[in-house]
This record gives sequence, structure tokens and C-alpha cells, in this order.
Amino acid sequence: MTSLRAVTLQLFDRLKDDSVDVDAAHVVAPSSVEEAAAILAAAAEAGIPTAFRGSGTHQGYGNSVSADLVVTSTRLDTIINWQPDDLTIVVQAGVPIDVLEAEIATRRQTAVLPELMPRSTVGGAVAIGLSGYRRLRFGPTRDRVLQVRIATGYGKVVTGGSPVVKSSTGYGLPRLVTGSLGSLGMIGEVTLKLWSQPMSVATVEVGDAAVALHDLYRPLAVLETSEGSFVYLGGPEAQISDQSDRLDAVSRRGLAWPESISEPIQLELRVPAAHLATAVEWMSRLGAIRWIAQHGVGIVSGGFDEFDADGFAAARSWAESVAGALVFTAGSRESFDPWGSPPASIEIQRRIKHAFDPAGICNPSILAGGP
Amino acid sequence: MDAAAELIELLGAARVHTHPIDRQIFAKDAGVSVGDPAIVVLPETTEEVAAIMRIAVRAGPPVVARGAGTGLAGGAVPAAGSILVVLTRMNEIYEVDEIGRTAWVGPGVINLDLSDALTEVGLHFAPDPSSQQSSTVGGNTATNAGGPHCLAEGSTIAHVLGVEVVTADGEVVMLGGAAPDLPGYDLRGLIVGSEGTLGLVTRVLVRLTENPPDVATMLIAFDDINDAARTVSDIIASGLVPAALEIMDNSMVQAIENFVKADLPLGAAAVLLAEVVGHADGVAAEAEIIRGVADQNRATEIRTATDGAERALLWKGRKSAFGAVAQAAPDYYLNDAVVPRTRFVEVLEEIYGIADLHGLRLMSVFHAGDGNLHPLVSYDAAEFGMTEKVITASREMVRVAVAAGGTLSGEHGIGLEKRDMMSQVFTADDLDAQARIREAFDPDLRLNPGKVLPEGSRCFDRPPR
Repeated sequence: MTSLRAVTLQLFDRLKDDSVDVDAAHVVAPSSVEEAAAILAAAAEAGIPTAFRGSGTHQGYGNSVSADLVVTSTRLDTIINWQPDDLTIVVQAGVPIDVLEAEIATRRQTAVLPELMPRSTVGGAVAIGLSGYRRLRFGPTRDRVLQVRIATGYGKVVTGGSPVVKSSTGYGLPRLVTGSLGSLGMIGEVTLKLWSQPMSVATVEVGDAAVALHDLYRPLAVLETSEGSFVYLGGPEAQISDQSDRLDAVSRRGLAWPESISEPIQLELRVPAAHLATAVEWMSRLGAIRWIAQHGVGIVSGGFDEFDADGFAAARSWAESVAGALVFTAGSRESFDPWGSPPASIEIQRRIKHAFDPAGICNPSILAGGP
Repeated sequence: MDAAAELIELLGAARVHTHPIDRQIFAKDAGVSVGDPAIVVLPETTEEVAAIMRIAVRAGPPVVARGAGTGLAGGAVPAAGSILVVLTRMNEIYEVDEIGRTAWVGPGVINLDLSDALTEVGLHFAPDPSSQQSSTVGGNTATNAGGPHCLAEGSTIAHVLGVEVVTADGEVVMLGGAAPDLPGYDLRGLIVGSEGTLGLVTRVLVRLTENPPDVATMLIAFDDINDAARTVSDIIASGLVPAALEIMDNSMVQAIENFVKADLPLGAAAVLLAEVVGHADGVAAEAEIIRGVADQNRATEIRTATDGAERALLWKGRKSAFGAVAQAAPDYYLNDAVVPRTRFVEVLEEIYGIADLHGLRLMSVFHAGDGNLHPLVSYDAAEFGMTEKVITASREMVRVAVAAGGTLSGEHGIGLEKRDMMSQVFTADDLDAQARIREAFDPDLRLNPGKVLPEGSRCFDRPPR
């Protein structure tokens, strides 16, 4: 076994990725999903714990993983097939969000990926299950991943989902993969459903975000932050003016998103939307330096300088009591559990993990409860 | 004690049926396949469903779930010797959260009943399949049902936030919930659309959608169906995603008009129904854009429904389509293949060609905005060999759609009907991965066996390397 492992690791040298500086014995960059599958087949056989990496902007998610091999999406950087009139696009996992959005903006389209993570990759956003603020209007990212091509933990290329905007054809593999944090294999390629950008957009500062959400029909986003509350409108010009008038507030053209949270410790309270106000209270009680609450969605993100173990535990216990969660998204993972209680379905979750990664090599134990 | 006796002890004799006539009533859905359940049971609570499952585990028969039986793909056709669990009695709306815009409902709640019950609070359940007057939320969940308005709103998957599921071993587990992005795999996303093969859904947490402040429904007539199809493409390309874009061909318009008198233009080669929603000013602006695009594509008539009654009549016409075709011939058969919008016109031509070649009568009504076809053949099954001929032609139509970059089903599901066509869109490795998912939920393959995945999907016979 040991000698097989050594030989395998030597083989990986051929695909070495020198552009990435991480603490692992080998960093490799496959140039196709098939190559990624071959790498994983070898890693599975030799029992080499393996991590995956896009641009490295979101390494704070999930339980920490110690991997001997890191597979990057550096060489999977091609937009394969954009069909503007079908509102679909096929992209490789390593394409940065800003590259994708800039390309499709030429036809006034958007993939509705997170607004302020330009360098992050499409594959990374899908692997984590990241959505942008506009999910209030357009739904979460997982609703727009139409098809995935992955290299599984058992070393096969598997396509799931369908290449069209509507499908009821087989199991929802794209939804399983979205948010699976590389625990089932490596995402090589995704087909995304696109939306047309609204004809015009505006940002309106309001006094009470909850009232604004209730009064408006389908805003793009309603954010309450430590710096004020903002409503983001999109639609035909006439509708924007009408809604701005209704809010009786000054509107600015364009979408002015709040600056991203950048404190060393970051967490999210994810709760049913009806409990958002209480979640916001928790953020100030915990002493968040900055926070952003997504009304109608149920997520409050907060940034902290110091780790308050008792306070965080109390907030988590509250969040779980309303069928929500407190999830850490950045900061040292040695001192705390990023997820909290494992889901009720943990047994099935473990069987799913085993089905796609029987050797247990893909980001081992990164998810809540061990998958 | 045998399974039937145990089930009678659990549910009482009135909710357990083993008589051949009762079994025959539940032997099929709205499609063409027929099954043969051994026992039909009608539970009323989650605990009863779990107990039924545990009896099945001990006694060995397969378990098949059924809602209203409006499915067209055979998903609820019971396997031979199975226990058929009819969930229509679990039809309670448990709680509605007006602020969070969610509701917990039983799987047996009828789709339209749910929306009707929410009128006063200004909300509705967005999926609106044509069967919505009789199909259940549980059945909609099983098939990931669509409907005209899923163009802008998404299919059922976008409107089911959580499910309470009885697993294959009789445990009750909650998947998903009202909070977004819960830790762990999105198993809810697997259950929706799994056609009863991964678990029995006993409660559904649905996302509710606010009723739009204003609506404009437009009827647009064309002399050439290709002009209608191009209008749809051009509307999407213009940056609009209307609430609905539906096309009916001339034979369908005739049949509908004969049936419900919706005042449709009988001479038109195709009729496009377009609907936009939002604030009044926005709706007017979007309707104007659609009008412009339609004019450019040689529309012969454009009507805008000016009040609720006119709008309801237009939609009544569209939603009566499948009832209307019954006048033409006693039976009908349709598939729901999806094509990329941009390939719509050419695929349509080929599909009409296939019908001509087989000498079949094709009527068509489809979700044009998202490329979801519904070529419908009306025929008489009593005619010798006719059903086989119709199915052969329909399969050829699906093949054309797949060849154009489409897929087998947009909203009806795979069931029995399209199971053996799955290899047209998935490789052996793809099907093996789906079979692994099924095994993870149901290692004994007790739930709805023989559906969705073709036999031999799991590659057990692969030699170890």
C-alpha cells in the first residue's frame, strides 16, 4: 500500500499546479473532467485524502480537512457554450464569477451569482451553495444549476440533470452536488440557467426593511445592515418610478450593494424568514462589528473580531430551536464546530457520501455530522 | 398474521382494500400502463404511513405511493403484489405562515384547493399543472410538476422547502425546512421529482408566492405556427421573462372552442397566450413590448383580457385542452419532452412530420416559453394495434427532441413510460450514480420498484481493478 501510494503521488507530479500555494504534498490541476476522474480513481485506490480548490476565496467553509492532495480547477477555465436565446450557459468550474458575468452582461444577462465575490469561481460557488442577494427575486443558486458534470470519489465522470431550463428527468443530482463542499467528488462543469437583467434598477434607502418588503411586489433584494436598510428594485422604468414613489424615499440609479463583511470571524444565522428580526437582535447582542440581514430570505451574516464561545453557543441554540442554523463561514475552525447539530437525516447523508466516495477520500468529514 | 390482516388491524377494514374491483380502480394512473396492487390502503396520519412501511418491511411486498392518480407517465402504477398507499386522505393544511410565506400541508391537499384557501391572505402556490383541479401537492412533489406559470416561477422544486418523509425502513425524517441553506446535503432536492422511489412524503412545507398586484393576459393569433414560435423566442431575447407563454395549434384551438367556448380565433394557425404580472405601470410597459414583438412577427390579432372574467376564460380554454381532445377521439397520448427554445421551430416541424408519416392526428398545446412540448395524439385505443403505433410515434418525437439537445420530460416525470428511454440522455455511469442514490435511500429497493431507472442501472458487475 505504501509503495502504491508513493507511485501514485509521483504520477500526480505530471499535473502539478505551481500557481497555488497551499500546504499539501501535491497540488494538481486537471485540464478535463476525465483527468479529474482519473486522478480521483488513483487517489481512491491509494487512499489519499483529497481536497478541492477553486480560487481559494472561501476556504473557511466546513470542518477543516487535512489533505495530502489538492485538486484545483485552475485549468478548467473555459466558457464552453453560451446560448443567450435559451438563457443557458455551460461553464467549466474554474471560470471566475466576474469573467462569466462580464461575458453574459454583453447581452444584458446575469447568472445571479454572488454580487461581490469577483475572483471566486463558479465551481466554488456551486460547491458551497453560495447565492447572491438577488436570490429574493430569482431564487437560490441551486435552483439555477441545470446540469453538472462531476468526477466522483470513485473515479468516474457522471453527468446529472438536464441541459434545458425545465426537467423532470431522473434524480436531482445538481441539487445534491450544490452545497456538497467537494465531499462527493469534484465539480468539473455546470450548466446554469440565466436571467435577463432587469431593464432598469435602483437602490432605495428605507427606514424599515420589513415594511418595505411587505409593501413591494418582488424587489431584487431587501437588506437591513449595520449601516442602514436598503431596497433594490428592478423592472421596467415605469415600475421602478412607481415603487420609489410608493416608498416615499430617494432612489439612486444602479445597485449599490453593501461592502462585504471582512472581519476575521464570520458567521451566518440561517433561519425561517419570519424569525429574521430576532436573528438581527442576536447579531447586535453578540457584538457583531458589521452585519447584513437578507429580508424575505432569512440569512443574517455577521463579522466579529473576537471569539465569544458562550455567546455563539447561545445564538446557535436559539437558531436551532427555530429550525435554523448558525454556520461559521470564516475564521479558525480549531476552536469551534462550524455547523452545529447534524441534520436529522444524518444516516441517509452518510450513505449518500459513501455511495459517491466509498474510499472516503473527498474532503473527508467536511460536512455536519461527518460526511 | 399476514400483511393484509396486520393492515386491517392498523387501519380498520374500511381503509384496507383487497377486493379485485377495488384493486382495479387503483391499478392505473392517467397514462396507459396498468399495474396490480395486492392491497390498497388509505392512511390518515404520518404514524400510520410509518406503520404501514414497517409492516411491508416485515412482510416483504413493495410499497407504492399514490395521490390523485393524474400522472401521465405511470409513476403511480402499482407494482404487482404491492401495497399501494393512497395519500389523498392526508389533505389538511396545517399551518400558514403569512410573514414567512410558507405553509405545511398534507400530501393529499389538492393543488388548486391550496391556492384557493390562500386567496384572502393574497398568496398562492405557484406550480399550476393543467391537472391542478384534481392533482395533489404530494403528486406534484413526486413528479416535480410544472404548469404554465413555472416559466417565471420555476417548477415544484422551487416551491417545496421541506418534506417530512417516511423512509424505506419506516422511520420518519424531516428534510430541508423553512430556513435557507441548512447544513448537509440537499436531500429535499432529491426527494422532489423522485416519483416515490426514495421515500413516502407525508407532509410538505411549501413556499407561497404573493399574488401580483396587476396582470395582463394577451391572446395573440398567427397564420403560421412558426411566427408564434419566433415571437416566443424574440420575447425572451428582448429581456422579458413573462409569467407564461403558451402556444396552441389550430386543431387544439378548434377542439377547445368546441368544448368550452372561450372565444378563441378559430381560423388561426396558432394562438399564443402571454401573461405578464407586476405593478400596473410595469405590466403596461411589458405588454407593450410583447405587442411590438408580435406585430413584427405578423400577428393577425392581439387581444388583451381587460378584466378577471376575460382572463379566466382565456385560461379556462388553455387548461381545458386535455378534456377538449376527448371529443375528437376517446383516447389521447402525449409526451412532455423539452427542447432548447432556439430549436423549437425545427423540432416542431419534425414532430408534425412524424405524425403525418404514421397517419396520426396531432394536436398541440405547449409551454413554449421554456421549450416544454406537449404533442398530443388523439386516437381510439379500441382500434387494433393503434396504441402501439401511437407510442412508437411518440417515442420518435421524444428522440427528435433529445437529438436537438433536449430531454425526456419537463414535468410529467419518467415513471414507467420513459424509463427505458433514459439511456438516450444518460450514460451507464450516469445511471449508475442515480442508482447509487436510490440505494442510499432504499437499500432493498422496496419503494416503487421498476420506475424511473431502467433495469441494470447499477453497475454491480464491474470487475474490481
